[in-house]
Amino acid sequence: MGDRPMQPEEALARLDRHALVMALWLPTGLVAAILFHHGFTAAGAWWVAGGFVAVLAGFGGHVIVNAALGTGFGPREVGVGLSLYLAAMLAFATALVLVDGFYETYFLTVAGGMAGLVAAVVFYMVTRHGTRAAFEKFDVVRDNNPRPSSRLRRLGGRS
Amino acid sequence: MTTILVTIVGLLAVYAVYIAAMLARIGRPPQAFLDGGNDMPGWAFAFCAAGVVLVGAGLSDHLALVSRFGLQANHVGVGVVVAALTAVLVQKRFWLAARIAGLDSPGMALGRYYRSTALRIVAMGLTALFALPYAAHLLGGIGDVVEAATGGGVPRTPAIWLFAFVLFLPAAIGGWRAVVLVAGLQSAVVAVGSIFVLGFGEGVLAGGGFLSSSIPVADGILADRLPGVVQYSAGIGKDVAAGGIFTGVAVVSTALTLAGLVLSPTFLYLGMTVRPGQGFAVTQVWMIAGLVGAVLVLAAPFLAARLDHGIASLAGDLARVEPLAGTAAVLAFVVAAQLAVAFFVTGGTLLLARELLFHDILPDLSPRGERFAARIALAIAFGLVALLAAFAPVASAIFASTALPLSVQMLPAALGLAYVPWISRSAVLTGLIVGGLLVVFTEPLGLVLFEGLFLELPWGRWPLTVHSAAWGLVFNVAAVLLVSIFTRKGAERRVRDRLHAEFGASWPVPFGGRASRTAKWSLTLIWAFFALGPGAILGNTFFSEPVFADGAAALGIPSLWVWQIFFWLIGIPLVWWLAYFARLGMTTEQGVRRVVLVADDPRRIGGRTPGWIAAGLSRLTER
Repeated sequence: MGDRPMQPEEALARLDRHALVMALWLPTGLVAAILFHHGFTAAGAWWVAGGFVAVLAGFGGHVIVNAALGTGFGPREVGVGLSLYLAAMLAFATALVLVDGFYETYFLTVAGGMAGLVAAVVFYMVTRHGTRAAFEKFDVVRDNNPRPSSRLRRLGGRS
Repeated sequence: MTTILVTIVGLLAVYAVYIAAMLARIGRPPQAFLDGGNDMPGWAFAFCAAGVVLVGAGLSDHLALVSRFGLQANHVGVGVVVAALTAVLVQKRFWLAARIAGLDSPGMALGRYYRSTALRIVAMGLTALFALPYAAHLLGGIGDVVEAATGGGVPRTPAIWLFAFVLFLPAAIGGWRAVVLVAGLQSAVVAVGSIFVLGFGEGVLAGGGFLSSSIPVADGILADRLPGVVQYSAGIGKDVAAGGIFTGVAVVSTALTLAGLVLSPTFLYLGMTVRPGQGFAVTQVWMIAGLVGAVLVLAAPFLAARLDHGIASLAGDLARVEPLAGTAAVLAFVVAAQLAVAFFVTGGTLLLARELLFHDILPDLSPRGERFAARIALAIAFGLVALLAAFAPVASAIFASTALPLSVQMLPAALGLAYVPWISRSAVLTGLIVGGLLVVFTEPLGLVLFEGLFLELPWGRWPLTVHSAAWGLVFNVAAVLLVSIFTRKGAERRVRDRLHAEFGASWPVPFGGRASRTAKWSLTLIWAFFALGPGAILGNTFFSEPVFADGAAALGIPSLWVWQIFFWLIGIPLVWWLAYFARLGMTTEQGVRRVVLVADDPRRIGGRTPGWIAAGLSRLTER
């Protein structure tokens, strides 16, 4: 089934929401970037922790926007978020291997921050969708059955 | 810092163009270019309005004054509650007037309501004042800061032209809605950036700081006290007020200028184009009175204490610790000024295009033609602003200084449209003339011109430490009341009554019973007296030397600052009371009935160019 063309009002509402989301992420992202940079280059782990707090604040703001506008995270937003998270994990792993003293100074903070981000996402999903539905978001195995009847809810599918 | 600053400013500019382009591609009617479709999202209005009030109130000037005069200048920040109260009183009624009577711009609303072309011209003049010299003054400030922050790497004049072009692009592509959306986004950057710079600076910069050593001021200036209720000074330029210029009456009269910002045609237009809902209430209570008040009252002393040589020196100090933090300091200032310039130039140009170009000169343009003409007008306006900012900074500053106090003189006219049908056209015009003259002759514009052309005047700027806005408004209101006594039942009263009859029938204000109504007004006046007016003098020692105690209390912070915070916090519920409880901040389109104020309106019968304009045009075009 192809995508239906978007009506102007719908497109306008999406653009308004996009601008609002960016109004949250631009300043919090900038603050997070400054705190991470300051923490990793000069000052230490507490500044890095501050950077994670800024990211969590941006995420919290995004969730509030979703709640206020009755929307959820779009596919592009999820994609960007996952990509950035994976890139950060990769950078973290690389730094652990290649940078002297990184483990002693930053491991606990960065690992805690990354875990905190995952916890925030899980908390959001559980409170928004419920435990079962949140799990089903990742349950791709049940989507593999091509028969239409497999999607019926009374047969355990997701109609 | 130069490379990072240019990169971030460039990325923000590209993003603004992206938003505008996406908006243009949606394919809304051409008319939406001018008014954003009259359904501006509440969040964009809230963010944009807060940013404009913060910058329009003179964030950089406020910081400079606080660093020079200390907490006495900071007291003006409490006046942001006055701006919020003014917004509560007028914005909903202008919004309703647009929906009920089709009065879809402030100049048009006042012109048709009072049946006065002169009033429409006055509104257009004010619009132009904000769109050109006022915006040019702000744009010039961007050039100064960028040049200082980059150590001359980006010179002032090229910076001004570059920023003017960067601001022009989203305006020309996406129109009013794009500018408001981008301004909303920029406001968020400014708010978070300012608070971050403050916190980061206090955390990493050694020595100084507001809490440890107060604000360093020159000898003879009272850094943490108001220098009296009033001083019998001839005014700035003629006399030096002892202890500083911010006496009790100076504070309350300067706070009135913030109301002028809310009454500026472009700001009123922003309110008229917002979609129904709680946008007004959220903006007036939490964003203007709350957030902007917090920045001006709480944050300003901390920032000012470290502003020895302007924002660039603070940025330099921060950059030595963390380059990105120094960039953020400059960025917060630059983006703040950017959003105000884009807002006033775009809004002002679109208003002038609607009220003058499409109404009187080219009334037969198609909607597409109007959009094209508006884009050309925007190009001309941004070019003029850049020209003024680059080559006439002093003239821009002189004219800009009159924008806010002159705008305050619109208060009787706005209140008349909103609530008081007996305020007549002659009364408003007489008040505007009297008030305008007093403003001009207590500001550099009139003083410099008159003294240059004729003779030396015995007074200077703001005589008796009373701001020009108050000089004008006092005599303006007196003239309005006096003239209204004799003209309140004129023939044009029927037109005004039509609108007020509809307001009263469908949109009454639930002020409550007599006791509640009295409480609202009397508490507001009592608040104003103690928060800003002569009563504020008590704050000098109220908390450090309590009246009924013999000794002094060791607060650790100045008593005046506690007083300011206390009355700012009390002011927020006052605004909340009117905005939410009296529903002056709530709007809905349900039950809106159209009312025709003037049956022979030229726009309604297909448009008609006035004879003198038609003759002038034909002389130019038919040779």
